[in-house]
Amino acid sequence: MRLRVISPFAMLAWLFFPTIFAVVGLYVLSRPSTASPQLAYAILGGGLVGYWAIAYLDGGLSIQNERWSGTLEQIFAVPTPLWVIVLGKVCGSLLWGLLSFVPTIAVAYFGFHAFLPHIDAGRFAISFAILSLSFLVVAVTLTPLYALWRWALPMLNGFEMGFYILCGFMFPVTVLPAWARGAGGLLAPTWATRAIYASTTNQGPHDFGSWWFASMGLSVVYLVGAVFLYRLVDRRARASGELALA
Amino acid sequence: MKQFGAAVAVFARSAYLQYIALFQWATIRGYVSYKVLLPITQILFFVQLGVFASGRTNALYYALGNALQVTAEAGIYGVIATVANERQNGTLPLLLASPANRLVTFLSRASVNVIDGIATVIVGLGITIVIFGLDLHRANLLLLGLCVVLISFTTAGLGLLFGSLGLITRDAITIANVVYYLLLILCGVNFPVSRLPSVVQVVSYGLPLTRGVEAARQAAAGASIKQVGGLLAGELFVGIVYALAGYLVFRLMEAFSRRGGLQEAF
Repeated sequence: MRLRVISPFAMLAWLFFPTIFAVVGLYVLSRPSTASPQLAYAILGGGLVGYWAIAYLDGGLSIQNERWSGTLEQIFAVPTPLWVIVLGKVCGSLLWGLLSFVPTIAVAYFGFHAFLPHIDAGRFAISFAILSLSFLVVAVTLTPLYALWRWALPMLNGFEMGFYILCGFMFPVTVLPAWARGAGGLLAPTWATRAIYASTTNQGPHDFGSWWFASMGLSVVYLVGAVFLYRLVDRRARASGELALA
Repeated sequence: MKQFGAAVAVFARSAYLQYIALFQWATIRGYVSYKVLLPITQILFFVQLGVFASGRTNALYYALGNALQVTAEAGIYGVIATVANERQNGTLPLLLASPANRLVTFLSRASVNVIDGIATVIVGLGITIVIFGLDLHRANLLLLGLCVVLISFTTAGLGLLFGSLGLITRDAITIANVVYYLLLILCGVNFPVSRLPSVVQVVSYGLPLTRGVEAARQAAAGASIKQVGGLLAGELFVGIVYALAGYLVFRLMEAFSRRGGLQEAF
């Protein structure tokens, strides 16, 4: 967290990028005839985009930085397990990512006089907590990939906006073609995001139980995969000692 | 004539070296991630956002705006990163010490990125047309192509201006991010410039891309070159102004950083 405060790029990540997405969303989605469910996507969408981008990429960037600094092998040599180190980094990222909602909601309220009149606070809070959990699990699961393969980070970074589409951060996944909806359904944040938006409106389906269950269930599946990946990284690091060259 | 030939040779050699040494996406994986996946998903994301807001009939509006904005990625990131990479590789003092014509060296840095920008927009727009089934049968394709080429040049002009700041700052890529993403709001990419506050509209028309996107949309609707000639001339003028301003700032920063050998000190 302390390193982020002095990093211009970290500032961009929570302040600038989410604001840009929020402003574009508000201009595109808020019109005199626009229904309020659409407006919710404009108000919260920028924040969700920023929150996700920081959460899922920061763990990877921190591993890449360890590689560039020549400290990747030392991380494996310390008695603390890798997943504990990664968890600390990702928790810091999540806290930092939460800041993304500050500029986006401020822009929506002060710049566009847009707010969410029908929010169900209880369900919104639970959905948001489940979303945060899914972000945490995704980030912890993906991080060993960055340690194993140097190209994993650029690839996932390149697909960043693909995740925005599949997770329904700024428009519902129901507007996507069936194949994309199927792909989005395999991502834990998609279901939690759906629950968040449903808690901001009285319209449409409100199947919160199923959505929360789907998100948490997928998160558990990711964690099982993560156990396998962390063991693989640990074995590879100790067997070859060439992780920094991967 | 001899001097001109030497300048052309410097331009060609510098552009070639820029490609093999400083074109940071010159690996298959790097190219796929940043020059294929990222632009295509960006176009698809904003087109889908626009379709969600106003229906499928407006998909072409968003597709064209965002495909052309993606062109700016090469012009801005590519050109700014070129100067930043010289600094990172420790070759900036060597470049500044060389006797080669500065303007030629400077413009050659942009050339590869201009070509790359054109390639990116063709691929991105092609995929979007297929996925959303966009109808371009009325479009003036030649004119649309001209718009793409022109925007690639003009956004590279903007890149040259901000790239020159790379001589006195380590955070050139941060600047590139700010400039690139601000264009999403300011240049009529996803909504008409007329919806912005009037002061901001003045800024919009002082930037490359704004008139180019407008011309491209008219070309897609079947307009002739006579109808969009004014917009294209304006776009070209703005691009040239930015490129010249970039050159002047580059020389200014160069002189500033030379004093006391500060090229790598910032």
